[in-house]
Amino acid sequence: MSAFFRSKEIQLAILILSFLAVFIPYFLNIPSDHPLNVFSTKLILIAGITNAFTLALAVYSQFRRGLSFVRRRARGYIFKIYMMTAIILMLIFWTMGETTGPYHWVMYAIITPLSSVNYSILVFYMASTGARAFRARNAKALLLLITGFVVLLYQAPLTGAIFPAINPLGLYFGNTFAMAAGRMFLISVTVGAIVFGVRVLMGKETQVLGFGSEKE
Amino acid sequence: MSEKKGLMRFLAEYDRRIIYLLIFVVVIGPLLSPFILPISVSPDTQAYYNVIDKLGPNDIVMVVFDTEFSGFMELQSGILASMRVMIEKGAKMVIAVSHPEATGIPELVLNQLADVISRKQYTYGKDYVYLGYIFPNEAAVAATAQDFHGAVRQDYYGKSIEGTLLDKVKDWSSWSLISDYTTGIQSQALINHYGLRGTPMIVNCIGVMVATQKPYVSSGIYKALLQSMRGGAELEYLIGVPGPGLTAMNSFTLGHYVLIIFIVLGNIGYFGYTRYKQKPTGG
Amino acid sequence: MGASLFGIPGIASGKSLGLLLDILIVLIVIYYIRSGKKLFIRRVSGLDAIEEAVGRAAEMGKPVVCSFGIAWNGFDYWTMAGLAIMAHVARLSAKTGTRLIVPTGGSTASMIVRPVAEEIVRTALMLEGREDEFNPNDLPFMSDQQYAYTGGYIGILQRTKPAAVIMTGSHASEAMNIAETSNAIGAITITSGSYISNVAALACASDYILIGEEAPAASAYLSDDPGLRSSIRCQDIFKWISIALLVLGLITFNAGSDFFLRLLSS
Repeated sequence: MSAFFRSKEIQLAILILSFLAVFIPYFLNIPSDHPLNVFSTKLILIAGITNAFTLALAVYSQFRRGLSFVRRRARGYIFKIYMMTAIILMLIFWTMGETTGPYHWVMYAIITPLSSVNYSILVFYMASTGARAFRARNAKALLLLITGFVVLLYQAPLTGAIFPAINPLGLYFGNTFAMAAGRMFLISVTVGAIVFGVRVLMGKETQVLGFGSEKE
Repeated sequence: MSEKKGLMRFLAEYDRRIIYLLIFVVVIGPLLSPFILPISVSPDTQAYYNVIDKLGPNDIVMVVFDTEFSGFMELQSGILASMRVMIEKGAKMVIAVSHPEATGIPELVLNQLADVISRKQYTYGKDYVYLGYIFPNEAAVAATAQDFHGAVRQDYYGKSIEGTLLDKVKDWSSWSLISDYTTGIQSQALINHYGLRGTPMIVNCIGVMVATQKPYVSSGIYKALLQSMRGGAELEYLIGVPGPGLTAMNSFTLGHYVLIIFIVLGNIGYFGYTRYKQKPTGG
Repeated sequence: MGASLFGIPGIASGKSLGLLLDILIVLIVIYYIRSGKKLFIRRVSGLDAIEEAVGRAAEMGKPVVCSFGIAWNGFDYWTMAGLAIMAHVARLSAKTGTRLIVPTGGSTASMIVRPVAEEIVRTALMLEGREDEFNPNDLPFMSDQQYAYTGGYIGILQRTKPAAVIMTGSHASEAMNIAETSNAIGAITITSGSYISNVAALACASDYILIGEEAPAASAYLSDDPGLRSSIRCQDIFKWISIALLVLGLITFNAGSDFFLRLLSS
């Protein structure tokens, strides 16, 4: 039975059915209580629920792997103990409620400051990369350097307040060159994604669908 | 001569930790000892303000915290300032998040807006509802756009959404506006399933996203775009309520200037040492 | 936006042209895949460099670090494109006997993707007759938190000093931290700007970068199947259509006609 569900044909059939269930109501002019729309919404919900179960399985799998590490006293097993303890604690806290109590406290007092600090570290990497990358190595790099220079000056709010003339120039670079590049990315990425999606629907992307071993 | 060469070499190949240190100093300094620097308001921020300023008590706005907590720090000023205007105007708000970490953010924001909430007697259920983490993926966004009550039945606190302002919401067409505060988690999904169908959208995005979000403004999908913390500070300035954005603008300004100085010095080093070193010798 | 130029009965307002273009793109891809034509495809330096990078790692006896992103939305197309590139890296590593480290995690949904990544690496080793060399510890799960994952990833780079770091898939802001660290330890850094806002910054920090549609096209580009390779041509056709619409729209709009505006609103 499991072999049947794991077969390439069944997986592709589910894939195509799911695709059509979202694709058709998006394009057709049908009311929200139309059976096709209702089916589509139900399918999306089923996908969400299945996702949640898969996540539960993934947590279970992490836990099992962690236990195996600890039993073997493999390198870094202490961290696995820490991880499993954290999982158990968070599960217990979660049962006490998400909106108050220890779960809430962990999110506010531990996760959020750590997350914010890590994000802010990004500024150091960005500054260092920017400072090293802008070199007038040739005519094109010089143009880029001058543009970058103007945009950086414009981005600092004080500059615009002292030299208002920088504002239209900075806006011009942003609204023409940067936007043109942004549009180019959007178009090329979208087309690339659609073509990739069609290949997936045709079952041609064997490795990402988990059929890599069948190929050869 | 060798001293000059040594200086040039230093400028060309300085340790990146020097940049880290100086950036740290110019960011921390103004925060520890605040001072006031003037700022200018960009047309983008003015346009954003104009959109939220036109909202009224009959408008229902979906406020999406499309960010994890880390990105919230950059968006915080725009969130506080724009939500303050929405509450002042009496617009109804339905708050949703698209990252599990963000579930704590709305309460944090609402606490900071307690003064205007109590002054305007803005009440939960009638004027605003918090739905929690309802956008884990694009499928969920699509579901709410097609049939909202088919996809969402409870608020963040586990109470039924029946009998709240959400009774008026049916699908994508029920919303007056979607206000997306984003680091890019579900912004594309919101565009795909709401914006492209015709729901008006405005966005407050992090700095690196600006260039890629602007095309959506010119194509009319976004009615306006608020750029990162700088846009937030400008909005605070426009509404006359200073907040975290204006406080951070000094560090923001000085950080940019330090980077410019490093770029100039690096180029001096490049022409004085690296390029000289790279020149072929002999012939 | 202007009023629609045309509408297909039953199709939602403003979506007729989109539907027609979608159908056209599907038909062209099917045509190219079925035809099996051998078409010229320009070299993609970022993808070509992967072979060089893995070869260099093999010569130096150092590992290769390759990641498929943090999979914000689970199996979205970026993640799948990242997995396809990772599968190629895994095959090259298995062939050359190079240790491959795949840091995983970064989002809750990444836990769903991880088993597939594991399967891909295992399969690559199996195809080279080295299945016994598969080590699940070389696919460490860092955390479902984005920046805890980043810290773990950077730690791996600092400790193992890999010869190459290949970062594909849906990496977001953490990509900058990783690419800069990779640059600092002297590894060949190959990235893909899936999160398009990152592209400019990553282009500065990387030795090679896959821009725009290059990453989703990678699996076809790296494939031996001529039909699959020729499907990339469809992207070119649609880019030409886009360019034609842009240029014609620019000319006619400035001449006072809103024809293309109305066409695109259809």
